[in-house]
Amino acid sequence: MIIAAALCAPAIAGAGANALVVEGLAGEPAYAEEFERQASTIDAALRSLPDSEDVTVLRGDAASRESVLAKLGELQDALTESDRFVLVLIGHGSYDDVEYKFNLPGPDVTGEEIVAALDALPAKSQVFINTSSASGAIAELAVADGRTVVLATRSGVERHATRFGSFFANALTDDTADIDKNERISVSEAFRYAERQVADFYERNGQLATEHPVIDGGQAGRFALGRLGVATPAVDDSSLAELVAERNGLNAEIDELRRSRDAMSPDDYRSALLEKMLELAEVEDAIDARREELDDGR
Amino acid sequence: MTAVRRCAALLCLWVVAMAPAAARDIHYGAVVDPAILECDRSHWRGDIETSRLCYANLLRDDVAAATKAEAAWALNNLQQSNEWFRAALAEAPDDYRSKVRWGDLFAASHQDAEAMNIYREVLEKDPTNAFALLGAARVLVGSFEEAANNYLEPLMMGAVPDNGAMIGALLLVAQVSLEGGNYDEADEALDQAAQLIEDEGWPPLEVYALRAAQDLLNNTDGSRWTEQAIAYNPRFGGIYATPAHFYVITRRYRDAIDLYQKAVDIEPELASAHENMGINLLRDNQVTRARMHLERAYQLDPFSPRSVNSLRLLDSFSNFRLIEDRPTLDGDVPIILRLHKDEADVIAPYAIELTRDSIEVFTERYGFALREPVIIEMYPDHDDFAVRTAGMPGLGILGAAFGYLLAMDSPSGRPPQEFQWGSVLWHELAHVFTLNATDHLVPRWYSEGISVFEEWRSGPNPGVRIPMSVYNAMREDRFLPVSELDNGFMRPSFPEQVIVSYMQAGLVCDFIDREHGEHKLRELLDAFGDGLDTEQALGAVFGMDPGEFDDEFDAFVAAEFGEFLEQLDHWAHTQAEISARLDSGDWETVIDLANELLGIMPHYTEPDSPYLAVARAYNELDQRDAALEALEEFWRGGGYDPAALNRLADWLVEDGQPDMAIEVLQSINLVDPLDADLHGRLGDLLLEADRGAEALQEYEVALALRPHDMATAWYRLASAQHALGNDQQSQDYLLQALDIAPNFRPAQRLLLKLASGADET
Repeated sequence: MIIAAALCAPAIAGAGANALVVEGLAGEPAYAEEFERQASTIDAALRSLPDSEDVTVLRGDAASRESVLAKLGELQDALTESDRFVLVLIGHGSYDDVEYKFNLPGPDVTGEEIVAALDALPAKSQVFINTSSASGAIAELAVADGRTVVLATRSGVERHATRFGSFFANALTDDTADIDKNERISVSEAFRYAERQVADFYERNGQLATEHPVIDGGQAGRFALGRLGVATPAVDDSSLAELVAERNGLNAEIDELRRSRDAMSPDDYRSALLEKMLELAEVEDAIDARREELDDGR
Repeated sequence: MTAVRRCAALLCLWVVAMAPAAARDIHYGAVVDPAILECDRSHWRGDIETSRLCYANLLRDDVAAATKAEAAWALNNLQQSNEWFRAALAEAPDDYRSKVRWGDLFAASHQDAEAMNIYREVLEKDPTNAFALLGAARVLVGSFEEAANNYLEPLMMGAVPDNGAMIGALLLVAQVSLEGGNYDEADEALDQAAQLIEDEGWPPLEVYALRAAQDLLNNTDGSRWTEQAIAYNPRFGGIYATPAHFYVITRRYRDAIDLYQKAVDIEPELASAHENMGINLLRDNQVTRARMHLERAYQLDPFSPRSVNSLRLLDSFSNFRLIEDRPTLDGDVPIILRLHKDEADVIAPYAIELTRDSIEVFTERYGFALREPVIIEMYPDHDDFAVRTAGMPGLGILGAAFGYLLAMDSPSGRPPQEFQWGSVLWHELAHVFTLNATDHLVPRWYSEGISVFEEWRSGPNPGVRIPMSVYNAMREDRFLPVSELDNGFMRPSFPEQVIVSYMQAGLVCDFIDREHGEHKLRELLDAFGDGLDTEQALGAVFGMDPGEFDDEFDAFVAAEFGEFLEQLDHWAHTQAEISARLDSGDWETVIDLANELLGIMPHYTEPDSPYLAVARAYNELDQRDAALEALEEFWRGGGYDPAALNRLADWLVEDGQPDMAIEVLQSINLVDPLDADLHGRLGDLLLEADRGAEALQEYEVALALRPHDMATAWYRLASAQHALGNDQQSQDYLLQALDIAPNFRPAQRLLLKLASGADET
């Protein structure tokens, strides 16, 4: 039996994770540098996923409207229903009270064009992240079954350059963003981290917040965007497989225990939780020990 | 009063606070309707029942609208009065007398802009309308506008002769003069007003009230004017309320409360006295009683923004938590904090520690032991603090002490790079000592001087920090003689004079400390407590007259800063050059220029300090040791930029100096305690240094900030408790962490460690 990843909480299963990251027009050198950093960080995070397949970054002249739509068009044939797909737009957006546009070299791409391209993809599990100003203009348009939508602003009238993208990218490499300590940063964790940082930024600088990020979609907590640390190499070992199975079983039991918390007295819950946590900790220790044995034997 | 002297009094008007106008003051002839005057005479004599019947009798249908407007106003039906004035003016648009009274009604109901519009309309048609001039002057004096003089001058200079309006103008000048400490001018104005009042047969009550205030300011017990006023009108609350106002502006709030109480005892419907009593009761932490009077004020005068604002603030107290720190030593006093519930757990530990430290330092230095609990209120919303302090938003200060109670902006009230809340708290706590040690007799300049000096010397972030604007004022010789230094705070004559006066007062105390010895600071405070004024106190303590003292102080300043002041232009030019070189990345030149400036003034640690530039430049050139040294100098000199200090702490950790990194991070707590990362980092360093109790406090604060990563916050608490030997508590915290993140390996390992320890025992 092949045992791969270090663990843990149930993630969305599928054939593989594909992504398109678009770095839009910056306008100023400072933005260009920052957008490039964000795109590179997100690119690296997506590639770090164990099931990462095709991750494409379009930037500079390659990030034209035609190229973006062409790439999305290609993916209509390349992806299957079981694939997961992530689209990330990094840059500036605009909204004229009628139409949202994401700023690209040459003609801009409109919100409707982007959403139509996403709708046309066969992948049933999608994440659409748009960190641009005014991105909230397409909030209603972008929502679809199976799609998690993350936008930097809650409406099209929040037109100032945003800070959300910077914090969102930071989340993918920051241990403190990993709320459940499973060494993966989910869409939900990255969003909550960035949302908090945005709010803190404006509050602590005494400024009126000009962006209010929003998220929509029921799979945000289970859709990983990056992993922390180094991937554990796959090994073929039956005793390790048993331990991992035991751990997964304990995790499931702990989930169940947490769900039934309201029906228990605090003392009973604490006792049950302590018992399960000790068991889980022992199993984790055993897994680590077995891995060390296997490493030493190599 | 000569014309010249009148002008001298006029010039001071624009900055002096005025007591709020009563609902319907004595009008000195602004109204000539005999029917109203008849009612007024009963009213002014205190025969309230008769006057009410008299006014009510004028509300008949067959009475002229303007008369009914005055009667309704006198009966405190302001809306009805407004309607009748409107009707009267619709019938007779050129009735300027009624129109001015309509303006007076707006002014009395706190609608200054509308009142001014009406006065201006009248003056456009009738430029010599004396009561329109007087009304406009009153409104503008109330809002501290120099333009008041434009309206007052024609009356005072006799260009618009009208004895009634002249009386009003003289009373205005008298009040302003008293507030400014110009007692001779006040006396002269009151003499003139009294003579005109006698000649014209108006009630002398307002003259009596100002005379009583004058006696109060001269420390004369039992003013005869009070008796005379009561004899004239036993229900004239102004005889107490007017002097009470002068207690307020000299910060004797409890004395003011007593007088306001007397005012409402004899005139229960005096809204302004209820309002002022409520605001001053709040300053004395008598919240329940304050609410009662503010609500009464609101019932009587629902148009007053001060009452409404204060009541709204009281309503918001439900969002605040009271935290009491009981004394552990005999002689200590309790500390009571009123903090917003969202940040109470974060701020309270540091505020309590600082307050206890300050009490210890100041008790010893000034030989005075506090006798009552210290109450500290911090407001996240600056306008709430302003309302708490003055009843109105828009106040430009950071903190205020009223005796044993102080209020200030909370750390979240301003961006961290702009506000050292720890130093502000220290400053205000020094006021608590200087005010109470002298029974509130300490002059403003000395109380501020001690507070600034203690910030510099003993405060949580010591170091003499003087803004460049103050150095410029020094160079331009804009310091005031010490005997006039109070004016710099209360009647500034140029925009930066308040901050210049703060710094000058602090330097005066620094001068006393260094040139005459620390004991002289206490002796001078004691002299003020004995009731001496500045001139007398300087004579008693230093054997010098104010001029001699000023000469010595000037020599001290010249020796201390003279060389630097000569190079201010060069400094400014070089700073601009540094800024440009920073932008272009010319790091070597930045280092040369910044070091040159630091050679001139090594203590300059304001936000544009050359230390920050030189540290950045060294770091860009990978000369970390030099960069670290520059930031360390900045920090030791009192620099408080939180970003720079965070950087310094990181570098110190990398350099193997965790103890100093701890000190640096602890100083950031006094600037930016709401930075959740800071507490985690600091706690980790403290734990590594075997300072578990301090680490626990930092971790508790971190948790109170509800960080994104709650599992780590709980785990850190568990680690600290484990280090302190509290394994049961540690296990509880670990379960909190693991409940959020079951696979959190460090928490799992500690849980197993605790379990194995438990098994072993």
